[in-house]
Amino acid sequence: MKINSLKYLVKEGFKNIWNNRTMSFASIGVLISCLLLTGAAVLFSYNIDTAMKSIEGNNSVKVYMKQGLPTLSAVKAGEEIKKLDNIATCDFVPKDDAIEQYMNLLGDKDGTMLAGMTGKENPLPDAFKISFKDLSQYKQTAAQIKQISGVDTINDYSDIAQKLTSLDKAITTGGFWIILILSLVSLFIISNTIRVTMFSRRLEISIMKSVGATNGFVRVPFIVEGVIIGLVSGAVASLLLNLAYGKLISAVTSITMFTPIDINPIKWSITLAFILLGTIFGAIGGMISIGRYLKKEGGDVVGW
Amino acid sequence: MIEFQNVSKTYSNGTKALKNVSLNVEKGEFVFIVGSSGAGKSTFLKLIMCEESANEGDIVINNLSISNLKKHDVPYLRRTMGIVFQDFRLIDNMTVFENVAFAMHVVGASTKDIRKRVPYILGLVNLQDKAKCRPNELSGGEQQRVGLARALVNNPKLIIADEPTGNVDPALSFEIVDLLSEINRRGTTILMVTHEHTLVKHFKKRVVEIHDGEIVADTASQEVSNEN
Repeated sequence: MKINSLKYLVKEGFKNIWNNRTMSFASIGVLISCLLLTGAAVLFSYNIDTAMKSIEGNNSVKVYMKQGLPTLSAVKAGEEIKKLDNIATCDFVPKDDAIEQYMNLLGDKDGTMLAGMTGKENPLPDAFKISFKDLSQYKQTAAQIKQISGVDTINDYSDIAQKLTSLDKAITTGGFWIILILSLVSLFIISNTIRVTMFSRRLEISIMKSVGATNGFVRVPFIVEGVIIGLVSGAVASLLLNLAYGKLISAVTSITMFTPIDINPIKWSITLAFILLGTIFGAIGGMISIGRYLKKEGGDVVGW
Repeated sequence: MIEFQNVSKTYSNGTKALKNVSLNVEKGEFVFIVGSSGAGKSTFLKLIMCEESANEGDIVINNLSISNLKKHDVPYLRRTMGIVFQDFRLIDNMTVFENVAFAMHVVGASTKDIRKRVPYILGLVNLQDKAKCRPNELSGGEQQRVGLARALVNNPKLIIADEPTGNVDPALSFEIVDLLSEINRRGTTILMVTHEHTLVKHFKKRVVEIHDGEIVADTASQEVSNEN
């Protein structure tokens, strides 16, 4: 394609948008919503993933020994826990350390409040601080630990572990379907918008064909139109997503302990992905509608 | 220039639009195609424009057999023709200049060439003063001259005029055909479909009459200049 043709065709694409501005803006709006929902799904699933990882990594589980168990037996039980497949770390927490931690926690440095609870009067059992390699295997591992002699109880994380695991799965599959459906909707909307433009320019198309325009030439302005719609939608959607997420983060952190992921490091990847996605969708939408049109009625010249 | 050899065209709904038509139009000729509506004139034009293909027979245009023409070559064949429509088919939101320039843009002409060529062609059809007007500010005759300018601007070897005077005042019809004759004198082949017998009688060109899908009469030019 010659340069002066390309310049002309890109200009025509912009003209298409303007002449058909109601539909163009409507489809930009729909596309923005689709991209926002897609982005929200991705960010949500990303957050859940990070939360899972942080629970797996930081939140260790406590295994309590039976009350009054000799320290030697407790250490022996610890050896057995360490041997299990799914255990990442296993640290011994003697009951003396535990009571000291409580004292520190209560600001009771001199031991006045918990005075009668040190040494032999310590009501706390020995314990192990353990962490799992895979939190989703929590139930099986917890059952194995409970069977070791000397073990009294283990903090019950099974509920949270299971919920997080199934939530993650649901979000992954749900996100996939949401993105797929929204993609189809976006394509449909874009191609319909361009079909409207095409319909309003059918006289021009027929004249173009009659003076010998190639199909490629006729196509370009409509693809340009789709690309512009996609580009604008992508840019606006990423801007909105960044703003909304920022607002949401401050709201969430003020009411819960949960720390959402920081969007700033991935801000530009999101923007780029949105713009790229929008552009590709716009181009495909344009190609679909003009391709179909040219195959059918768009070929008519004399009997227009 | 145009050669039809035993061409038949039947549409998928069973309509036999052309039956065994043979016709030869030489380079530089001016031919009137006459016939009542539904006689097959439109199909004839569609076959020349490669909008439809013949079921039987062979069509040769510019020494090119279009039965074997590949689809992507059709636009390039069309660039050797200019077409004028009964309903003008001008784009309302473009000026006269832009309407004519549009045909040049489409075939990839440069802005420089367009600025040079369009005023020249508009001068040829006597519309140089109307370049900035919109089609709705012009009379029917003027609009058709814009249509003619658009058909001419890419310097085609053949002009196809599909009832070009159908929407023009009778008095101005002669002006249009005069213009076509002038273009013909400069070497362009003209094929003009028309209903108007007064025009056909007055201009004394070759007349091909189509009736019911067949050529029923082919009268040679009666022009004085051709007789000598």
